[in-house]
Amino acid sequence: MTDNWVRRLNPKTKLLMIPVFGIATIVSPGMLLGLFLLLVVIVMAWQANIIKKFLQTMISFGIPIAVMLFIIQGLYSPQNHTYVANLGFAKLGLEGLMYGGKLLVTLLVFMGSFYLFNKTIYSGELAAALIKSSLSDKGGYLILASLNVVPQMKRQLQVIKEAQEARGVQTGGSLLTRIKVFIPLMGPVILSSLIDTQERGMALELRGFDLKNVSKTSYIQVVDTKLDKLFRIGMLLFLIIVTAFSIYLKVRR
Amino acid sequence: MVTVKIENLSYSYKDSATSVLHDISLSFSSGERVAIIGQNGTGKTTLTKHLNGILTPDTGRVLIDNVNVENKTTAEWASKVGYVFQNPNDQLFLDTVKKELVFGPSHLGIPKKEIQKRIRFVSELVGMQEELAEHPLNLTDSEKKFCAIGAVLAMDPNVVIMDEPTGGQDKSGKYRLAKILEYLKTQQKICIVVSHDMRFVTENFDRIVVMANGHILLDGAPKEVFSNPQVLKEAFVTPPPITDLAQKLGWETTILSISEFIEELKKRVQ
Amino acid sequence: MKVSSKDVISVNNFSFSYPQTKKPAISSMNFTVKEGEFFCIVGANGAGKSTLCDSLVGLIPQYFLGTTKGQVLVNGQETTKQTVAELSLEIGLVFQNPFNQLSYTTSTVAEELAYGLGNHGIPRSEMLDRVAAVAKKMRIESLLDRDPLTLSGGQIQRVAFGSTYILNPSILVLDECTTQLDPIGSEEIFTIIKQLNDEGVTVVMTDTETERLSMYADRILLLDNGLQMGVDKPQAIFAREDLEKLNISTPLNYQLTQELTKIGILDSPEFNQDIILEKIKEVENGYR
Repeated sequence: MTDNWVRRLNPKTKLLMIPVFGIATIVSPGMLLGLFLLLVVIVMAWQANIIKKFLQTMISFGIPIAVMLFIIQGLYSPQNHTYVANLGFAKLGLEGLMYGGKLLVTLLVFMGSFYLFNKTIYSGELAAALIKSSLSDKGGYLILASLNVVPQMKRQLQVIKEAQEARGVQTGGSLLTRIKVFIPLMGPVILSSLIDTQERGMALELRGFDLKNVSKTSYIQVVDTKLDKLFRIGMLLFLIIVTAFSIYLKVRR
Repeated sequence: MVTVKIENLSYSYKDSATSVLHDISLSFSSGERVAIIGQNGTGKTTLTKHLNGILTPDTGRVLIDNVNVENKTTAEWASKVGYVFQNPNDQLFLDTVKKELVFGPSHLGIPKKEIQKRIRFVSELVGMQEELAEHPLNLTDSEKKFCAIGAVLAMDPNVVIMDEPTGGQDKSGKYRLAKILEYLKTQQKICIVVSHDMRFVTENFDRIVVMANGHILLDGAPKEVFSNPQVLKEAFVTPPPITDLAQKLGWETTILSISEFIEELKKRVQ
Repeated sequence: MKVSSKDVISVNNFSFSYPQTKKPAISSMNFTVKEGEFFCIVGANGAGKSTLCDSLVGLIPQYFLGTTKGQVLVNGQETTKQTVAELSLEIGLVFQNPFNQLSYTTSTVAEELAYGLGNHGIPRSEMLDRVAAVAKKMRIESLLDRDPLTLSGGQIQRVAFGSTYILNPSILVLDECTTQLDPIGSEEIFTIIKQLNDEGVTVVMTDTETERLSMYADRILLLDNGLQMGVDKPQAIFAREDLEKLNISTPLNYQLTQELTKIGILDSPEFNQDIILEKIKEVENGYR
């Protein structure tokens, strides 16, 4: 991992960015603020040297969603009054387009900030940051363990798929056959994960996960600078102001 | 009668450049009980997964009764090639042992009467006749393994592959496995088993294939294979304790059992 | 003398039944384990080995609910008097499946080893020292920066073992911890266990495989169907007539020397290969 200021930011700061940016985009009228926040995320991705992958992901996700949203909202939104084009079979409405745009920007802001968070921290660091903070470590554990268990579950699903094929279950083919085999596939997955969960719970217990009255420590060092704290307070203030201003605009109208 | 032919098979996993299997050629014929042994990660399981098309070779081919395995899907091969996975939890998915046993044959469209007959026979062979109504979740690990073996045998495949069936088995479990292997031999099936248990392997197999780093180092009867301590060392395989003892005593004859040992010792002291 | 006379575990008339089952999983267990002892629990599948292990470290009755009778004392104190986490500083458990012993919150072996220490609030400087020391003991120094999930079975088992041992328990309970490993992998684990035992750690170990256990065990507890059939030295246990019935396999070397004793070639059965080699060589030379 290359070193730069985005990576050095405390994981909590980057984690907080996701809901703050996302919610601010939702509550603010129109999509201008959302576009601005998206720009901020893009600049940060550029600073973190992940801009290429970042844009690839956003575009490969954004274009199909955009097409879908614009068609559905643009052509069929009940709010459509102003029409910008007549396609013959349906008319393209401005209100729907705007609403579709807003949805798209919101999705992109959420996704972009999550992508940035995910790619510029590594999980050990987040665990350490959460342990240090007053955040419930159970919640922290759930987030992390689910992130880490996913690849292992994927691998297991593959093995189970092979095992079922070896018993004569066709797992490829049409959608219907796929749905039909889903049940035999899920049985062993749930069964094994039940057994594993019980044992993993035991292991955590043995390793002191549940200890009370201990201030936990961590192998990974995370720095929480004054700048981080400032950023976080700033973000929360920003969210409050945006929310208050949006409500004010709504009420006045 | 059934034949399995592996011809010049090479294979490497998609995400790695190094190959797992190098130019493997083997053939098996009816009634053979073959054990594949070697350290973890040498490609034993990767090799057996080619026999029912779970994996397809990069080069070379596998023929079962002269049909290329690639020509059919794994599911289509299931009636001919039974595969028991290492972890029975991956394979079992129904809510009673009986349903597990019925699943395979009923999928193949076998008449109900015949299925009933098979279930009666197979459940006794794998020692599950008392547990037919149990939920597989309530079985011990060892019983789950036998349930998975039963589910495969109920399809009456001509080739039976088992990955580590001996792991975690106690004496009676191993004894039952030995009985199953014996039965499969009388039925002229080909039985291919991956195992780490040298004592079990020596006592129950006609042929042993030793693998290391994706190559076959040795292939032959137990006596032949275990008479090569130097090569076995290369494959990180330790012969059964008795064989090891005789070799450390400097005896030239390869000893596989207690009675052989005593006989040899008597000969030497006379 | 490596084994002292002090009892570090005493199990007094202990029984346990899982909820919804009538028959106890283990009943009327009565035995002690001495400090520094290599104590083995042998029994067929379903005999109650794991249940007993879970009872020794307090998971029974704290994690698994059910009905208990009698008591289990570790270092003189009842296991129910402390939480499982506090107890793990005195008595550690290593599982059969190492994958289930990982925390799934770490990205390197070093962090995984340190995880338990963090929960106990051990300062980071001490943490670093202990991680290094345990890595050396478990022979995983070269793996410290690797992601645990990319390791081989034998390597992960050593990480899991290390993550238990790093809490510095004076007693280790190992529940079939080599069953899923290949011969080389289990050999490595056995070597480490033996070394720790030589250094004074009390070892309680279960396995279905008696071949190797019999060579190391000071004493063996024989279980059958939840009942204690006897606690004795390996010589006495494997000389029992009822082993066949109890579904326990006798180590091959021992069987051989038993036969040789019967026909008058040797004077007593043995477990240790080196001793057997020597004795048979004597026999060979003596007759020549």
